[in-house]
Amino acid sequence: MDELVNILTRLLMGLGHMAIIIVVAPLLQGFIKKSKAFWQMRQGPSIFQPYRDLYKMMKKEELISEHASWIFLLTPRIALASTLMAGLVIPNAWGWAPLSGWGDLFIFGASLGLVRLFLTLSGLEGAGTFGGMGSSRELFLGLLTEPAMLLGLIVLALITETSSIQGITTNLTSVSPIFIPRLLALLTLGLVSIAEMGRIPIDNPDTHLELTMIHEGMLLEYSGPSLALLSFAEQLKQLLLLILLAQIVWPSGLVLWSNGLVGFLGALGFVCLKLAVLGFFFATVESLFVKRRLFLVPNYLATSTATAMLALVSLWIIRGQI
Amino acid sequence: MNNRRSHSVRQLLMGLSMVLAGMGFIWGIVMILGGDWYKTGLKFYAGEGAGLTLSWKVDGLTMFFLFILLLGQFFSSLYGMGYLKEYEEKNKSLWPFFVTWFLFLGSMFGVLLADDGFSFLLSWEMMSVFSFFLVLYEHEDPQNRKSAYIYLVMTHVATVFLTAATMFLYVKTGSLAFEEWAKAAPGLTIFQHNLLFLAFFIGLGTKAGFVPFHIWLPYAHSAAPSPVSSLMSGVMVKVALYLFIRLVWLTLGPGPVWWGWLFLLVGAISALVGILSASVQSDLKKLLAYSTIENVGILGLAIGSAFLARSWQNTLAMELALVAFFWHTLQHMLFKSLLFMGAGNIIQATHTRNLERLGGLLKRMPKTGLAALIGMIGITALPPMGGFWGELVLFQSLWVNTLNLTSGWGKVSLPFFIGVIALVGGLSIATFVKWFGIAFLGQARSPMAQSAKEAHVVQYIAPFLVAGLAVLSVLWPSALLAMINVPLSAIRTGETVTTVSTIGKPLITASVYLIVICLLTLIIVMLSKSGARRVTATWNCGAPLTPSMQYTATGLTKPVRILFSKVLGSQRQVERDIAGKGYSLRSLSYQGRIKEFFEDLLYRPIIRWVLWLAYQIRKLQEGSIHLYLGYLLITVIVVLFLER
Repeated sequence: MDELVNILTRLLMGLGHMAIIIVVAPLLQGFIKKSKAFWQMRQGPSIFQPYRDLYKMMKKEELISEHASWIFLLTPRIALASTLMAGLVIPNAWGWAPLSGWGDLFIFGASLGLVRLFLTLSGLEGAGTFGGMGSSRELFLGLLTEPAMLLGLIVLALITETSSIQGITTNLTSVSPIFIPRLLALLTLGLVSIAEMGRIPIDNPDTHLELTMIHEGMLLEYSGPSLALLSFAEQLKQLLLLILLAQIVWPSGLVLWSNGLVGFLGALGFVCLKLAVLGFFFATVESLFVKRRLFLVPNYLATSTATAMLALVSLWIIRGQI
Repeated sequence: MNNRRSHSVRQLLMGLSMVLAGMGFIWGIVMILGGDWYKTGLKFYAGEGAGLTLSWKVDGLTMFFLFILLLGQFFSSLYGMGYLKEYEEKNKSLWPFFVTWFLFLGSMFGVLLADDGFSFLLSWEMMSVFSFFLVLYEHEDPQNRKSAYIYLVMTHVATVFLTAATMFLYVKTGSLAFEEWAKAAPGLTIFQHNLLFLAFFIGLGTKAGFVPFHIWLPYAHSAAPSPVSSLMSGVMVKVALYLFIRLVWLTLGPGPVWWGWLFLLVGAISALVGILSASVQSDLKKLLAYSTIENVGILGLAIGSAFLARSWQNTLAMELALVAFFWHTLQHMLFKSLLFMGAGNIIQATHTRNLERLGGLLKRMPKTGLAALIGMIGITALPPMGGFWGELVLFQSLWVNTLNLTSGWGKVSLPFFIGVIALVGGLSIATFVKWFGIAFLGQARSPMAQSAKEAHVVQYIAPFLVAGLAVLSVLWPSALLAMINVPLSAIRTGETVTTVSTIGKPLITASVYLIVICLLTLIIVMLSKSGARRVTATWNCGAPLTPSMQYTATGLTKPVRILFSKVLGSQRQVERDIAGKGYSLRSLSYQGRIKEFFEDLLYRPIIRWVLWLAYQIRKLQEGSIHLYLGYLLITVIVVLFLER
């Protein structure tokens, strides 16, 4: 009986976790757009615009290419589902993640990999050149980002001696914020996150110019509800990456029921603040830099992999184990 | 009339092969549930003579690989029942196929059961020879004859090393029994110990397909008929890995630390080279064969991590690595058989192995496509399929090894291997998106692909069954863990691994993950079902869309080829035929080639050297009778001198 209650509580908490992520994701997107508008000296759309866009697209008629098969329609659904699965290992405002067992840090990257697999497949569905171009480039970026991201997380796991992301963020509270390996790992993840979010200097989310687009190229054939789901999945992924970064920069640790309502709301506010700062930061980066050529991207991502290795070496040197 | 008889013979024999496999599998399960005998093993002898014994033994380790073999046999036979029909239509006799098929399976049994050097070498040679005949079955194609020849040469180079090691151990111990060898192993000098290890490593590594001994594998696995390819990639490669555990881990081991590092290094190189070569292939089956090298590399990494943990007395990391090894062995067998079956169906439907001529097959062969999609998610090591969960345990093992190592550069290089596996994962996504996407999606690129038809019923039922088993292994991880405990209990002492013990716990996440992601997808599908849908043309800037506008297989992984051009040795030649002043182009031809790195750098010089040596030796045989009489005279003098 106790076990049943336990399982039910965890299930409800998991659902709540998902609900929060789902609700907040478009808001973050709106905020980043607004921040970019600030740097471009324009008014910009309201921060609630992404909600309206999603709502509008859900209502629209959907056009499907005559060459497409069922994978075309399955992709947006699977992409959203597996992005949500990736969200299960990312600790929320209260430092709690539904999946926090052994080795769960590997699930994050792998779930995003599943999204990539299906997205690149449906890029080939339309039988046009643009989709193929997007897929080809996305596959190329994917194989470069994956090792960097994993190594960055592994270094943090070695610093904190646990291999779940929840454990990492909880244990990081007791690690000095200017501990060199931690800073280097953060740099790695920051660089990778830009690539994963598809932002400048890797990809430009605001363009449909075929020479430059990567992510948008694969989405070109999509319309209506499917496009809404895919854009939403992208917003979710962005939120998850930013939460992960935020929890590594300023981990809030595990907040329990015993902290009371004030502690609870405080933690939520704290996370919102962190996300806002990070979102503004990335919007600034995007406003300051230009997009790089595709074949300059390997250098960029190699930098982040090298940083991860440097973090690893410095960790063992500081601990006196080399 | 003749055709009909051949028809029933095929069904009868393949059915027999299937029934034997099924019965063997069930009997094995019943035997294992019957008692603890598999921890020590059962011995039986087949006969003696001329001072040699044929002795056989079954223990837990053998049982696990027997299960792999029987599963592979079952599904390949079922698939073959449909696939072989094509040869009947071509009026090609199937008898050579049937005979070698059964002998090949039987010899793999022999290798798994062998308990002494002689029966091992005997059945090993039989396995090599009969698989050679199977590779050669479609001997009309000169390309296949070349592939089979390379295979035969390489497999014999391997056997030389194994025979040498066996002879050496026989001389040392006076016995051929593995048990005696294990007893004598600690008494060997360090030099002898390491030399034996290297002999086994090269001999078995060649069969397993470790880089740089892998060059035969892509040729042989792709030249064989598809049921044989699936058996060779899924099972025969695993037999070689079984022998690593049997002869190196159990007989020679425990060894020095560098053995583990060698496995890790060779495993990582195999995984990288395998998947890089696969990613630039446009041959449907060769790509799969290269991906086998990649997966063998990952299994090599697991063995390496286990060896390191064993030398560092890190029980947890060792058990994790072993669980990862056995888990991935089974999963790879399932997915690789599945993909080879899919490739076989495509080849029969379109009569081409070239990806550039396929396209749009998912609409014409929906069932083959669905099975191939499942196999592809598994082989790219993505959740929710089993390939990922094995790698997760392997990652965990490397991670625990790093953490528990007190000091040294190993603490840097072990996580580096995790990075390598992640890179391999990314590359395998690119490879298989190309394999599946180019073949099954988009528009048909040739009339053959345009007119493709779904394969015969058994040819998609077999892959569906494999896919079902793969899903079941994730949904019910405790069953697979119980199966993994059988070999574990034979090769180490310790408690059994279940889903509640520390090691098995992440694997229960596997079933949760699968269920949750399916539920989520279902909910999202339900929620987004409403709304109108219209089928229209693909947007193409207003111009009509032709099949040649699609990305090609070569084009899709072109960025990979450019980035790794140094490693792959990719070359391009563009010939322009320009008219007049150079403004109008009359014709343009493009040729791209991937250098076979190891073939050109390692094997060509060796071949050249051997040929040179043969040429020198030929000088002895000048054809002059006086010279031969002179040799005789010298021989007689030498013999007399020795016998003095």
